[in-house]
Amino acid sequence: MRILIVEDEPRLLRNLARALREEGYAVDVAAAGDEGLYKAESYNYDAIVLDIMLPRLDGWEVLERLRKQKHTPLLILTARDTFKDRVRGLDDGADDYLVKPFDLSELLARLRALIRRSAGQTTSQIDVGGVVINTRARSINREGRQIPLTAREYAIFEYLALHRGEVVTRTALYEHLFDENEDTMSNLLDVHIFSIRKKIGRDLIKTRRGQGYSIER
Amino acid sequence: MLFKSIRWRLQLWLAFLLVCLLSGFGFTVYQLQRVSQVKQLDEELERRVAVISGAIRGGAPKTGVSSLSFEGRPENRELNGDSRQPNTSRRFSDAPGVRDDRKGPFGPRDFPISEEISNLFDRGGASAFYFIVWSRDGAIFKRSSNAPAEVPLPTRLGEMDTRTYARTRDEYREAFHFTELADCVLTGRSISADLASMRRFKFLLLAAGGIVLGFGLGGGWWLTSRAMRPVDDISLAAMRISEGNLSERINVSDTDSELGRLATVLNSTFARLEASFAQQMQFTADASHELRTPLAVIISEAQTTLARKRGGAEYRESIGVCLNAAQQMRRIAESLLQLARFDAGQEPMRRNALDLAENARMCVDGIGPLSKERDIKIRCDLRRAEIFGDADRVDQLITNLLTNAIQYNKPNGDILVTTGTENGDAVLKVIDNGQGIAAEAVGHVFERFYRVDKSRSRIEGRSGLGLAICKAIADSHGGSINVSSELGTGTTFIVRLPAMKVS
Repeated sequence: MRILIVEDEPRLLRNLARALREEGYAVDVAAAGDEGLYKAESYNYDAIVLDIMLPRLDGWEVLERLRKQKHTPLLILTARDTFKDRVRGLDDGADDYLVKPFDLSELLARLRALIRRSAGQTTSQIDVGGVVINTRARSINREGRQIPLTAREYAIFEYLALHRGEVVTRTALYEHLFDENEDTMSNLLDVHIFSIRKKIGRDLIKTRRGQGYSIER
Repeated sequence: MLFKSIRWRLQLWLAFLLVCLLSGFGFTVYQLQRVSQVKQLDEELERRVAVISGAIRGGAPKTGVSSLSFEGRPENRELNGDSRQPNTSRRFSDAPGVRDDRKGPFGPRDFPISEEISNLFDRGGASAFYFIVWSRDGAIFKRSSNAPAEVPLPTRLGEMDTRTYARTRDEYREAFHFTELADCVLTGRSISADLASMRRFKFLLLAAGGIVLGFGLGGGWWLTSRAMRPVDDISLAAMRISEGNLSERINVSDTDSELGRLATVLNSTFARLEASFAQQMQFTADASHELRTPLAVIISEAQTTLARKRGGAEYRESIGVCLNAAQQMRRIAESLLQLARFDAGQEPMRRNALDLAENARMCVDGIGPLSKERDIKIRCDLRRAEIFGDADRVDQLITNLLTNAIQYNKPNGDILVTTGTENGDAVLKVIDNGQGIAAEAVGHVFERFYRVDKSRSRIEGRSGLGLAICKAIADSHGGSINVSSELGTGTTFIVRLPAMKVS
């Protein structure tokens, strides 16, 4: 899952990026409105965390312009706490609104919910052919036994599971699982997929030659 | 409640006045009408009394012989109550030359009913005139056929009283007089028709008065409604404002009337109220925003760090971030507190004679490390400028301005600090050739939490209150602070404080 954080307070930006990376997300950051808008328009993020008081282009403007092009799930994270601001934010196209100061666990839960909902999923548990993915604990169980996956492997499997029934292209996987700073080698994905198959079983993830991967519904 | 309303009280007063006026007017009209009718009837009766009186004395009827009235007779004497009115303008007495020896036992002379008399009386109908003549012994001597049955003999006031009196008896009006021989002549007429017409007249007057009263009250209600409508508007608007809708205004259509002027004054008061409320709200929102951000940093940083086991270096870094944010909060809190004290006039001031030049030099020395760090040169042109002020606050003002000039400068920029006196003011100028301030922002720089560049200054850890505090300090010293700036060229802050009088 790849997330964009647009926040002008540098300490908070660094902290959020670290916290989300530790949760296994690929994280891009922007410290100003225009930069944030550019990135949000250029990549298909799984979610965006947007501040309102931003230099150059404020959050309202970013939201308005972005919504003309993309439906990326977006959470407004701001110190503006009046109900007018909340209503405006949600009406302008934000999917969620969280007021600073916030609890990190709440922010993470809301982001998980946003990503889940945008994939058409309603709970934090996904059952794929007897393999249960718990997105909250970021764990995978089969018949009650936990299967140990690396963070990256888990991310790939979760993404495929969330989009089960559709073919996920390699490009899409790269875009959603690696942030802008990562130097990705083209065969890295094959290595991860190989490893996941070894741990869970060969048949769950199908390879569509020339298109990508998919998990059958 | 109802009678406390101005409108109802006006209406009651109007009703009271109208009733007074109308009843006074109606009563007068009624009385005038009645008096004139009575007078007319009395004249008719007296004329007839004179005719009969003449007839019983055998002479020609003497009518209107006022020339024979007795001098010195009491006037306006009343007989048997108020219904009898003496009429002194008509007196009947013997013509000169008539013998006086008829005072004996002679009765009145009989007379034939001449055509003239029969024309005057006996014409039939309910309102015909009648007459009765009594002889001096009280017996009825002669009477017209239509005279009522029981007519009491009037009493004579004095021996020689021959004046004609009028009296009202039940539904009859009668005039009578006694001749010198004490015969009594009385003429009368039924006035039931007159009374009925007066009753009709009274009823008409009452009806007309009622209608006028109704119209008057209706008009009064309309007038008071018209006059009170602006008051109602004002009170409604004020009520909506007191309910919290501060943007509400009184609709003023007629600004020149008294109430229009009142409404205009109230509107401008409401506008000021709203502005100060909005300012207060903005300030509170800004303050909470400024405090929330570092708080968010502390909480988020601590939660992230505590989420898993980390090495000592990571903990150090994390605690450093928290400390940094906490210190930012402390700066904001201190500044807010100081501003609040200035607002309440409670900031303690220890005023002494001091020289701005000296304070400025000390502040420039103190800020040296920061300016060196940024490669900014500070030049001074400090002349004596004595004021009576609080040295700590003045230092704070100068340091704030210098910090500001350094932080919004460009690398290798210059700052010029001057002090001196101008027109009896001690003047401090801090001039930089840095970034300058955009024209639309210049007017706001002294506002609390106003920032020209919203992101940059927060990175510097500034509270956004420095210049607001400068202004508060200048104000509390009875001085002023002004700024002029041009984008890209530089900014000049000028502080004027009242100079100490040189004795």
